[in-house]
Parts: sequence; C-alpha cells; structure tokens
Amino acid sequence: MNYLDLTIAEIHKALVEKKVTSLELVKESIARIKKDKNNSYEANNFDSALELASNITSVSEKEILKGIPYVAKDNYSTKDIETTASSNVLNGYIPTFNAEVINRLNKAGAILIAKATLDELAMGGTGLSGHKGATTNPYDNKRIIGGSSCGSCAAVAKCDVPFSLGSDTGDSVRKPAGYGGLVGFKPTWSRISRFGLFPFAPSLDTIGYFTRSVEDSAILTNILAGQDDKDMSSSYRPVENYMTYLNKPNTEKRIGYFKSVIDCIDDKSIVDSFYKTIDGLKAEGYIVENYEFPVDLLNALYSVYMVISCSEATSNDANLDGIKFGIKPTGDAKTWEEYMTEARTRGFSDLIKRRFVIGSFSLLAENKDELFIRAQKARRLIVEEMERFFKKHDYLVLPASKRVAPLIKDSSDKWNPNPNFVDNHLAIANLGGYPSLTLPLGYEKGLPFGINLTGRQFEEGNLFALGEDIEKMTGLKNASTVTRRIK
Amino acid sequence: MNFEPVIGIEIHVELKTKSKLFSSAPVGFGEKPNSQTVAYDLGCPGTMPVLNKQAVVYGVRVAKALHMDIEQLIQFDRKNYFYTDLPKGYQITQQEHPIGSHGYVDLKIGDKVKHVNIERIHIEEDTAKQLHLGDMTLVDYNRAGTPLLEIVSEPDMRSDVEAMKYVETIHQIVTFLNVSDGKMEEGSMRCDVNISLRPYGTEKLGTKCEIKNLNSIANVRAALEYEIKRQTELLLKGESIGQETRRYDESLKKTSLMRVKTNDVDYKFFREPNILPVRISDEFVKDAIDTMAKLPDEYRSEFLADGLNENEVEVLLGDTDFTHYFEDVLALGCKSAKVLWNYLMGDISAYLNKDMLKLTDLKITKVQLKDFCNMQEDAKINSKQAKEVIALMLRDGADPKKIVKDLGLEQISDESAIQEIVDNILAENEQSIQDFLGGKDRALGYVVGQVMKASRGKANPALAKKLILAEIEKRK
Repeated sequence: MNYLDLTIAEIHKALVEKKVTSLELVKESIARIKKDKNNSYEANNFDSALELASNITSVSEKEILKGIPYVAKDNYSTKDIETTASSNVLNGYIPTFNAEVINRLNKAGAILIAKATLDELAMGGTGLSGHKGATTNPYDNKRIIGGSSCGSCAAVAKCDVPFSLGSDTGDSVRKPAGYGGLVGFKPTWSRISRFGLFPFAPSLDTIGYFTRSVEDSAILTNILAGQDDKDMSSSYRPVENYMTYLNKPNTEKRIGYFKSVIDCIDDKSIVDSFYKTIDGLKAEGYIVENYEFPVDLLNALYSVYMVISCSEATSNDANLDGIKFGIKPTGDAKTWEEYMTEARTRGFSDLIKRRFVIGSFSLLAENKDELFIRAQKARRLIVEEMERFFKKHDYLVLPASKRVAPLIKDSSDKWNPNPNFVDNHLAIANLGGYPSLTLPLGYEKGLPFGINLTGRQFEEGNLFALGEDIEKMTGLKNASTVTRRIK
Repeated sequence: MNFEPVIGIEIHVELKTKSKLFSSAPVGFGEKPNSQTVAYDLGCPGTMPVLNKQAVVYGVRVAKALHMDIEQLIQFDRKNYFYTDLPKGYQITQQEHPIGSHGYVDLKIGDKVKHVNIERIHIEEDTAKQLHLGDMTLVDYNRAGTPLLEIVSEPDMRSDVEAMKYVETIHQIVTFLNVSDGKMEEGSMRCDVNISLRPYGTEKLGTKCEIKNLNSIANVRAALEYEIKRQTELLLKGESIGQETRRYDESLKKTSLMRVKTNDVDYKFFREPNILPVRISDEFVKDAIDTMAKLPDEYRSEFLADGLNENEVEVLLGDTDFTHYFEDVLALGCKSAKVLWNYLMGDISAYLNKDMLKLTDLKITKVQLKDFCNMQEDAKINSKQAKEVIALMLRDGADPKKIVKDLGLEQISDESAIQEIVDNILAENEQSIQDFLGGKDRALGYVVGQVMKASRGKANPALAKKLILAEIEKRK
C-alpha cells in the first residue's frame, strides 16, 4: 500500500506525522501518471511540482492540503501551463493567469501535477471527444469513464492523485464519478468562483471535484467556497465550516425520490442496491418518500438542457477565432472571414460544430421564442417544481446512472432523438443551481455504480452529512483502494 | 426645397472612467498599442466581466440630464457577431434594459426652441481598434472594453443645422457632466447619422441612409448638407434611394457608399449570464444625481443673471474648462462678470492660444485674476494700465497689486492731490478754458490729458474731469 492510495484526510495525517513527505507523494504521483493507460492527461507540471514539493519540510495540522498532489481538468486556466480544453482550437494556448480555484488550492499548498483530458471544451458526456482521443475507464478500458471530466475522474479512480478538479454543466462530474467509483461533487451555483474556468454554459456551469471520500469533498469545499471579486456572480453569503456536518447524527432527514426514474432502470442490481440503501436510511430514522415529478417536465430535461447549454456555448466559444491565441490558420486566408472560418473549421470537431449549430439556430430571431425562450420558461417550471419538492424533502436521492459504464462502442455524444430522462435527471441540479453529490453505491460485474444526492441551494453541509451516512452503509469510502478492483 | 429631411442620430460617447467597463485595465488614449489591456480585453477563456460602478453612475447622470426615465434594473445582454475587432465574438450591451429611455433635449436655434426626443441611452463595451497596413490588419486592444454610452435620438431633426445643434448640445452635456472628454477627433465621441427625405406634408418615411463615424460637429453638418443635396437630386430625377451605409470624406466634402444594407443582421441577443441583474437603490440614483456637475442650462441662467449677454454666455459655454474657471473666479469675489469675461476670453485666451497652453498652465492664480478685475472695476487702474498689468501677470505669474505698486501705477483718487494738479494745469492753460467756454469741447480733453500727464497717468481720469469742470464752472 502507498500513501497515495489514501484519502486527503489520511494523507494529511501522514504528512503531519512525517510518515511520508510531499516529495515522495509527488514522485509517486508522477510515476503513476507516466504509466497512464487511459489517456487521462494533457500538459504536465512535473518540474514545478517537484520543486514545490522538495521545499516542503513540514506540514501543520491546519495545513490540510499542503503538499498533496492533484490534477485539474484542462478547462481551468493555469498560468504558464498550456491549456487546451482538449480542443485543437486552443493548441498552444498558454494562459497568463490562474483560475481562482487553482489560486486557492496553490495558496493552501496543494500541488498541481498535471492537466486532465476532457470532452472537447467540456461538451460531451462520454470522454471520447477530446482532441487526444478516447479517455477510458481504469476498471475496463473497453468502457468509457464518462465525461466531460473524463481525465480527472480516471486520475482519482486509479489513485494517481487523491483528488482532482472537474467541472459540471449537466452532470460532467457526477455521472463519471458513478462510473469511476468516486465521490463527485458540484456546489450551489455561485458558491465557488468560476473565474478562470473556460465557460461552456455559464448559467449552468459550476466547479466540481472528484475525491475518494465524502469527507474529502467537504475539505475541498471549505477551501474553495467563498466570494471572489473576479466573478460577479459569486455569492457573498458567508461560508460555513462543512466539517461540522460530519461525524455526528444528521438532523435533516426527509428524503424524496422519483419512482418514475427508478422504473426506467433495467439493471436489477442498481435498482436493488438503491432500494436496499433506502431501507437502510429508513432504519437510520430517515423518512423516504416517492415524489410524483410531472413526467412532461422530466421529458423536457434533455431539450431544455441542450437548447440552453448550446445557445450559451455558441456565444462563449465565439472568442476562439484563431486571431488572439491557439490555432493559427495556414496563411491561405485572404479575408478575415476566411481566416476565422479556417481556424474554426480545423479547430473544432464535428460534434462541437453540431452543438454550435443547435445553439445558433435556437437564438435566431425566427426561432428564439420557440426554442431559446421556451427552454427558459421550461427551465423555470422545472425549478418551480423542485422548489415544491424541497418544501417536503431535504434531498432528492436517485441512482447516478441507469447502468455501469457502457462500452465505448455503445457510446455517442451525438444528438439523441429519443432521449430518456433517466439519462438526464442529474441536469436538474444545474438548472436549479443546487448542490449535488454522487458517491459509490455498489458494483455490477466488477464495475462501480453510484448514487446521487441533491439538496437545496447552499445546503452543501446536509449533503455531506447524508453522504457520510450512506458511505458508512455501503462501506465504500475510498472504494478504489478498499475494493482493489482496478488492476 | 421640395423635400423634408428626417434625421435621427446615434452618438457613441466614451465614458471617462479610470478602468474599463468590465476589466481592470486602464482607459487611455494614445498609449502604446496593446499596453492598456488585461486578459479579459483579449477575450481569454475563463475571464469574466466585473461591472464598473462608475460607468453606471455616469449613465444615471446622463439619463437625468436628458430628462429620461432611469432604469434601476441593471442588466446586460450579449450581442453576438463575428468581427476582427470584437475579441469575445460578442459585445456586452444593454439591449433589454437601457439605463435611460424616453428623454429629450431642447435645442436653442436662433430665438426658436427645437424639441428632440431621445429614445434610449445604454451602456456597452467599445471594440478594439484596427489599423490597415497594406494587406495586413493590425489590432490594438487598448480601446477594447472601454465603456461607451450610446445615445439614440428619435428621427426628430429636420435640417442639417438642427442635427449639428443636437450633436453640439449632447457634446456640451457630456463634457459638462465630466462623463466624457468628448474629443470627437480622438474618437471619444462618434456620430452615426440616419437620414431620409420625404415630400413636405407627407407622413410616410423615405428610405434612409446611414452615414457612419462622423468625427466633428462641422462634419455632421457638412455630411448632411451633401447628403440632402444628393438625395434630393436623385428623387427629382425620379430615382430611388438605396438603403445604404455611407461614409463622409472630409477632403472631398462628399459621402460615398460603404455597403448596401441587406436584411438586418441577427445579433442573437440573450442575457449575459455572468452578470446577475442588480437593482440599484433609490439612494444610489439620488446620490449619483446629487453629486452631478452643473449642466450648461444652469450656467446659462446664472451667467445671464451675472450680467453677461447671451452671446458671451454661449462663447463661454463652448469650453467647459473656461466655464469652470470663470465660475471659480466669480465665486472668489470678482465683482464684474463682464470685466472678467473680457480678460478671460480676450487677453488670457489669446495668451494661451499663442503657445497652445491650457488654463491649468497659467502662472497666475484665480485669486490674482479676481484682484486684477476688481482693481479695474473699482477704477484703481485704467484700461490702458490694465493691459500692461495683465501682460506682466501672465508672463511672470506676478501679483497684480505688486505690479501696480512696482510700476507706480496706483491711481490717485485722493481729491485734494488731484485738485492741486488741476489748479496748476488750469493756471498754465488759460486759453484752453476760454476755448472750452467758447464751445470747443475738445479743449476739455486736452486739459484732462495734461492732468494725467502731470500725474504720470496715475490720476483717476473720471475724478480729474469732474474737478476740472467744477473749476471752470467757477470761472464762468
């Protein structure tokens, strides 16, 4: 066993007690990253990381992240480190500034080891669409790890690092977390600064992270949450100490779930595990009830999400024109239109172009009412229904996915003409800006699957409390290490 | 003329904030290209807009000055289009909720008042500046993100003169409010003019042309003059007006076609998701208005009350710095606005113009100028001496009291002292007294001159004249 296989809290204790040094951790992490078989990484930061680690001689109890290595999804701006968002359009782009979360982690003493792959520009749910090709699942590399935060998820699943930054616009942290046997968390929209996160759809985007325990997720939230002058949308609400929600009886006990979603799941072991957990929670004093969420609203999730996210994306990515940074057209262009067209034609994959077309089409004056405005209205109806839900319940609890990670050959990011809400329910948390957490629930044929918890805005703490209770029930705290299913 | 021009004007005013509308980069003109930029201004991914509060304050003030409804919901939208000068591929603007709407200005043209309605004003970001060199286009991002206020008039103007007066009035308002330096030649105020013609007495609007980027008030008039003539000639020949965007060539004094307008561009507007709508409080609005600088109209009534005539007031209001300087000197206790105006717009202005100086370059203080004016008003020095004194003041920054003393220019207003001189002079000039009594008025001037000469110019001439006349009266 290596210290890198432990959780943040455990590694921190070992660093304080000088059982391991930051340099040893970083060296081991680099060695593991070099052996990566899942195509998890973009640029690395090995030299700086080694230098930083070698300067750390002692870690105090208060310095919970000091000396601990991590990776960040390649859509976080990192000063002097190439950042491409796994898109050819940004090849060669070296930012001049750090994202706020990177700054906060740096300040806390965490050590950035490498940048992780993603679906191109974070648009996708498979981990197959980045410019470096497919990122695969460490449990079975014929399968997807899911996206868009594919590299970040794979990295933590196989213990290259104890935690990683992802980002979550529809389910980009929380769905892969299920496929990777990890804790994946997104906070309330506005709780953590998005400054420096390459935008996909700002009204839905949040920072997110992968850890191997609920406690680690609370630790990171303590460090990352809080107002930032560089992000006007970040909340001024005081930040709680999320650790106070752990290791004590949870007082918020009303759970709701959508039976309509569970009924769409064919995988018997997922359904059984879910209800078994529900029973376990009831035994712990939780009140668990079905909530009849209108099916037409559930059916609207996919289109609402696609119209809103693609509309915002087509605008956000309009800066990627080859003029200022990233891809350089060949020089055959005779006009500025030709120049931009060439940059964007070569720079983006067909999947991205498809999304831009959807977004642009939705915003055109002649379609705007029928598509963009209608999607906003539907979004409001969905959120209003969730507000009613949260009057009766403290949490929405559902399986994170309908099955274990699918085979690559069965996966696609193309527009789905026949969507099923069982694949899209995690987007409810983005549409309403709710905090949401996925954690491991069980295994099917050696592959992990997860359970997802969503709470009211700014009630991150309750999610950690419930998550900890479920974690105790499943015994899957640090699943990667305790189950040792990754070869 | 057979046709009535219908004119509407869009004015872009660069706001004089310290930093840009959404970034911390400084706002500056004429700096080294791409030196006034941060990552946001280049559209680097992950940068986010942080709204400049001062720009909102300025917006509120202009809205107030233009008698507008002030929008307290501050919200921004994205205007999406691709162009080389647009770093993000969209411009953040106020499409849905302009900060001001439904306002007006009254233009004074001769003794008539022209009422022009203003549809809206909104805050938005400026674009980058392009330099075309041969087959290359260079982009300077210094200007990118500078706050702009766009002022959109209703098509209420009916002549080139009204249009010119409108631009002049807006220019005066924004410079007096100190929200913009209003330098049209540097692009900090830019005008796009829309014009169409229609037969007099008809309601239906003709096809309009837009003349873009007029860079001086004179050019607004000249371009419209040309355009009215051009469109009139076309219509009289029975030809139709194309819906066009045109530019004005200053050297040729002509407008020429830039591009034919096809269907309106679809800007795919939607709300900027990174700026949550903010409702500014009543206190915020009140504070912005209470701390507003004086508007030209307030100065007009004040200066008229101080004794200037309308022409003098307008000349003064043509320059905000002079107006403020004038106001300050009056406030220090200058007794005569007229005297002050004469020297400020005369000797001082000429002195500054000669060396291209600004008022702030003056060596004299406002208190000294006040003292100088009051010496004249109190007849302590005569106008001839005053010329000499002001010249020395401007040259050396010397105190007028000291100059007068050093040159021995102090007027003698002591009656007994002058009486003595008068007595002596009269005794020596008996013939002149007789001439005067015989009806030769010029003789009096001669005697006064002699008294002045004898006093080396220091005698108060009015007093001397009075005493001479009294003496002659005695001898009748």
